[in-house]
Amino acid sequence: MSAVDLARLQFALTTSFHFLFVLLTLGLITLLVIMQTRFTITGAPVHERMTRFWGRIYVINYALGIVTGIVMEFQFGLNWSGLATYAGDVFGAPLALETLIAFFLESTFLGLWIFGWGKLNRWVHLALLYLTALTAYASAFWIMAANGFLQHPVGYRVEGNVLRLDDFSALLSNPTFNSALMHVIFASITVGGVFLTGVSAYHFIKRTPEVDFFRRSLRMGVITTALATPSLIGAGFAQFPIIAEFQPGKTEATPWVGAPLGFMILIGMTLTMVSWVTLPLLIKDAVIRLRFPLYLMVIGIPLPFMAAIFGWMFREIGRQPWLIYGLLKTEDAVSHVEPQQILLSLIVFTSLFVLLACVDWALIARAVRRGPDVAPAPVSPLVVSL
Amino acid sequence: METLWLVVLGTLTVGYFALAGFDYGTGLLLPFRRREEALQRMTPFFLGNEVWLVAAIGVLFAAFPRLEGELLSGAHSTFTLVLAGLVLFMAAVQLRLWWWLVFTGALMVSVGWGLFLAHLMEAPWPLALVMPVLFALHGWVFQTRNWKLFPVTALLCALPIPLAFSSIDTTGLMAHVDTLGLLAWVAIPIIPLVVLLQWSTVAISSR
Repeated sequence: MSAVDLARLQFALTTSFHFLFVLLTLGLITLLVIMQTRFTITGAPVHERMTRFWGRIYVINYALGIVTGIVMEFQFGLNWSGLATYAGDVFGAPLALETLIAFFLESTFLGLWIFGWGKLNRWVHLALLYLTALTAYASAFWIMAANGFLQHPVGYRVEGNVLRLDDFSALLSNPTFNSALMHVIFASITVGGVFLTGVSAYHFIKRTPEVDFFRRSLRMGVITTALATPSLIGAGFAQFPIIAEFQPGKTEATPWVGAPLGFMILIGMTLTMVSWVTLPLLIKDAVIRLRFPLYLMVIGIPLPFMAAIFGWMFREIGRQPWLIYGLLKTEDAVSHVEPQQILLSLIVFTSLFVLLACVDWALIARAVRRGPDVAPAPVSPLVVSL
Repeated sequence: METLWLVVLGTLTVGYFALAGFDYGTGLLLPFRRREEALQRMTPFFLGNEVWLVAAIGVLFAAFPRLEGELLSGAHSTFTLVLAGLVLFMAAVQLRLWWWLVFTGALMVSVGWGLFLAHLMEAPWPLALVMPVLFALHGWVFQTRNWKLFPVTALLCALPIPLAFSSIDTTGLMAHVDTLGLLAWVAIPIIPLVVLLQWSTVAISSR
């Protein structure tokens, strides 16, 4: 394999791994905001316990997701130095705004939220979670703005052999950015909904004594999925006319690029249908008493994750051979490094990421199995030992 | 404007290295200290420094686009070592299964940074071992709460950075002043805000 092929494979693998963490982070924070708001207003202990239980899972996932994010960020400079050299002035702006406004602040707010539990005024503590959620969404906003530029470059001028930033607002009104951002956001909320449903269903299968706790969680998960999926599909289909206008050859980029698109749509439709069928079954907890839907809910947990990866495959592979559509070819952006060096990092990172995904799974599964706390316990995963 | 961005990048990088001794230093000292207690003390600081690293690389990309690629791809295998160490370290700290994984991760990161700095200064590679020693020293000062020595070791950990980077001439490598101006509005208020919030986190968790 050539340096370009290896670098592309590495990018595909690291981005996919990273995005799995991102989806769950964004999905869970949205639901945590609802849970903690209800607790802060009503003071009911069940809402506090829900915030703690789901919050701990969120924190585990966030802390491990950061690691994949760091590798992602370094990768631009390590393997794709041609991108920064040529377009760093324009593409780098949303990227730097993401690290500064979003990530830098987000992790700091989150740290204060974790360690401020029970020590801060509860309204201040709630405000910190809102700020964490807001900056998490800002993160998605800037990353999609940067990606939108790669799909359909706008707001630049060519000066010598580099791009310069000409009109920053054009980057934010880019048609390949807006609908894709909504699509990603609703995909994350769907992941959150499906995750809540599946984990709660698991506890009912195990005959949990925490009936009220998981009944509420399951209902919240199903309703969230039912509300998010129609908008998710809407924002998805809204992109077809945009693709037709700006990337007419997208579906023919490679012979098989239509396949992941098809699978994604299939999963999206299935989740919509199933969640709406489940809604009336929530009455008098029919869905829990029937029992067999609970197994489907557990099996369903990976589905929205898979759909999201398929969606990205279509978006990114369909752009080839361009890195920046119409301006910079992928093969021209790769760093001048030996293929062996990229191969080495590919092997190292892939094996470590597999390890990381397993650690994430093991820690989350452990937190899930333990169930909600009976006595108050710290939220930080770091205080939890195996 | 160019000077401002050199200062921003410098602050973020120095911030990362000055904080890095807390967790990597603690990791390096694990064979010699009571492990549970040492890790417990590090907890509020964990991930606190990686945040600075991410911000520094983001700024490097946007404000110094023609330096970033050369700097990183020029030391490809060294960064593979640093990043592999980071992944291992962060996963191992949270998993808490085998303490020697935490130690190995910390060692890989600190030797990696040492190698990178030696590469920048065109110094012989054994100089790389200075970084783990400095981090361990800083970690020891932090773990023993020797607050008088604390600024000294923090400075020592951060000192190699300006030394190594002073050899780089940034003319022509920076972004256009339009990009720099836009980002300045964001970077200037955010850095002090993060310092304040991180300090509050530490203050709260030690209460």
